[in-house]
Amino acid sequence: MEGETFLVRVRSAAAGGHVPLAGVIEAEPSATEVSASDLMADFITNLEATGGEVHLPATEAGAIAMVVDVAEHNRGRFLAWDESQLPLPGLPEAIAQAGLERMSANVPEDPEARLDHQAGYSAVQVGVTGATAGLAESGSIVLEAGPGRPRMASLIPLAHIALLDRRSVFASLSHWMAQDPGAVTRTSNLIVITGPSRTADIEQSLTLGVHGPRYLHVVLLPETSEAG
Amino acid sequence: MSTFTERAEVHLGTPGVAAVNTGARRLAAMRQAAVDEYPQMDAMRDRARSIRLHTLQNLGRYLEQLAERVADLGGHVFWANDGDEVGKYVADVARERGAKAIVKSKSMVTEEIELNDMLESAGLDVVETDLGEFIVQLADDRPSHIIAPILHKTRHEVGELFATQLGTPYTDEPTELNAIARRHLREIFLRADMGISGVNFAVAETGSICTVTNEGNGRLTTTAPRTHVAIMGMERVVPTIADLAVMLEVLARSGTGQRLSVYTNIMTGARRSGDPDGPDEFHLVIVDNGRSNVLGGVAAEILGCIRCGACLNVCPVYRSAGGHVYGTTYSGPVGAVLTPALAGLDEWHDLPSASSLCGACKEVCPIRLDIPEMLLALRAEATAAGYDRSAVRRALKMYARAATRPAAFRAMLKAGGLAGKLRRSSDGWITSLPWLGSGWTNHRDFPSPASRPFFERWRDRDGR
Repeated sequence: MEGETFLVRVRSAAAGGHVPLAGVIEAEPSATEVSASDLMADFITNLEATGGEVHLPATEAGAIAMVVDVAEHNRGRFLAWDESQLPLPGLPEAIAQAGLERMSANVPEDPEARLDHQAGYSAVQVGVTGATAGLAESGSIVLEAGPGRPRMASLIPLAHIALLDRRSVFASLSHWMAQDPGAVTRTSNLIVITGPSRTADIEQSLTLGVHGPRYLHVVLLPETSEAG
Repeated sequence: MSTFTERAEVHLGTPGVAAVNTGARRLAAMRQAAVDEYPQMDAMRDRARSIRLHTLQNLGRYLEQLAERVADLGGHVFWANDGDEVGKYVADVARERGAKAIVKSKSMVTEEIELNDMLESAGLDVVETDLGEFIVQLADDRPSHIIAPILHKTRHEVGELFATQLGTPYTDEPTELNAIARRHLREIFLRADMGISGVNFAVAETGSICTVTNEGNGRLTTTAPRTHVAIMGMERVVPTIADLAVMLEVLARSGTGQRLSVYTNIMTGARRSGDPDGPDEFHLVIVDNGRSNVLGGVAAEILGCIRCGACLNVCPVYRSAGGHVYGTTYSGPVGAVLTPALAGLDEWHDLPSASSLCGACKEVCPIRLDIPEMLLALRAEATAAGYDRSAVRRALKMYARAATRPAAFRAMLKAGGLAGKLRRSSDGWITSLPWLGSGWTNHRDFPSPASRPFFERWRDRDGR
């Protein structure tokens, strides 16, 4: 294979025995049982601590109204996951009816066409996505890219709105990864988002929204949404 | 090439170094708070250390597995023996695809090999997009901290830089400066042909790479352009996804005191059939550039470093002298080990001595790397190789001769008592020693000896 000489060199260097031996590691500490309501409370507290906002609508109609309200405060174009990938039927249409223009998120493969398409992203103010999981310990949400699930919807807008099933909140990243070990390989891009984009590069003064979204809204969907 | 002490003379006492000191202390406090609220931290550090050391011991196997997985996913793997090979490969990929505009997210290994210079001489436009690195590039400066590149710069300097380089009205408000950078870079992102990222971790079992950022520029770099080239130092691999999770638990807490950074981005190949966006092709460049020498030498353990920067923030030398005195990409305790280990003691034999061996670095390291031990090992190598540490050696030889002969030792301590006549700072430290001692006090103060030596006080203690 290519890299043969490279690997021979690496193997022979490692065989020199200069890397110390690691100590014996005790078994993984078993996760303490936490009730679902405690997980939810932690998730909300920690997400808000990062500068994100949480919405707890009682009904699906209420959820749509909340998303539309956020969209109306950030007028411009919007990107959304395909309706088939969103847990709230009729959502993109409701946003469009509020006067925001939906942009196609399908990026052409032709290099020129790709750049032309992406030029339109400058005006994108709102992005709407689903989410695979919430992580209580860090207040994070996990998103999987894939057909009908553009990465840009959670990246390019000023405001990112993510819809999360209340039953999909896990204790921590390692806990969730252990529960769903196939998640990484079933998508080309798994992204764990912990609050709005931020920087403290200039004199350690915290600013939100430097390249990614300035606002992160997580809508926790009522449990009735998939009851049927 | 200047020496550490020559560079220190330039930087000591400057406002830039004072800013680094303030910033480093703040980052250290943020780390401490995050560790205090996380009772599993010590257990996680043990696990992280064990994973890193196991990986290094079996590095060939895991790199081979990683390369196979990446190829299975349709990615291109390039094995680069040194920096020049990286530059040539990336320039070739760009040329073959007609790519002109390149965006880059923060990557230490590309700083190490000075990739931007190589690409620019190949006629390519390269724009750094991490806010700090963007400012470093505009100012033609160098990063002063591994994770906070412009710790040494004031908001006024950034304001003036943007006004002259970007033609925007002067402001020194960080929020407005960030907004200017966002607008400027957004246009560049959307038009870029190629994105170059670093790699925080690569996962052998899945062929994934993971980057950890707060701004979102890393995601834009790896999403908007049609070609994504990821460049990794060969030691950045971990065996499994479960191992990755452990690394992520300790990295952000140690670096910035966050539980997780804003964007933990795991990429497994280029975009797949049906994916609406993402890069059309993915290249992984695996870089040696001296690392196999490190792996086969006394400082092999330093390859376990995950670049969190925690050791910089607690180091008294880094805090007092800043990042630029280390002379290369890697500053602080990790730099004092890594630079000479990677680039050779010939040029860098003074760096391992730029430490008081206080051990604060080892105490905070998420991998528990024994940095003081490695510094000592490198010092021993430097001495054995005959690099000039003669003043220190002569002084220590004389001390040894005196200390093993009671009469001579007493005479020496008496002479020490005369130190009362030496110049002192307001807090009682000696600022100037004569003869061999000047080697110390040219750059540091020396503690005052007690007015009566210990052995006299012992002899005269109560009841004797």
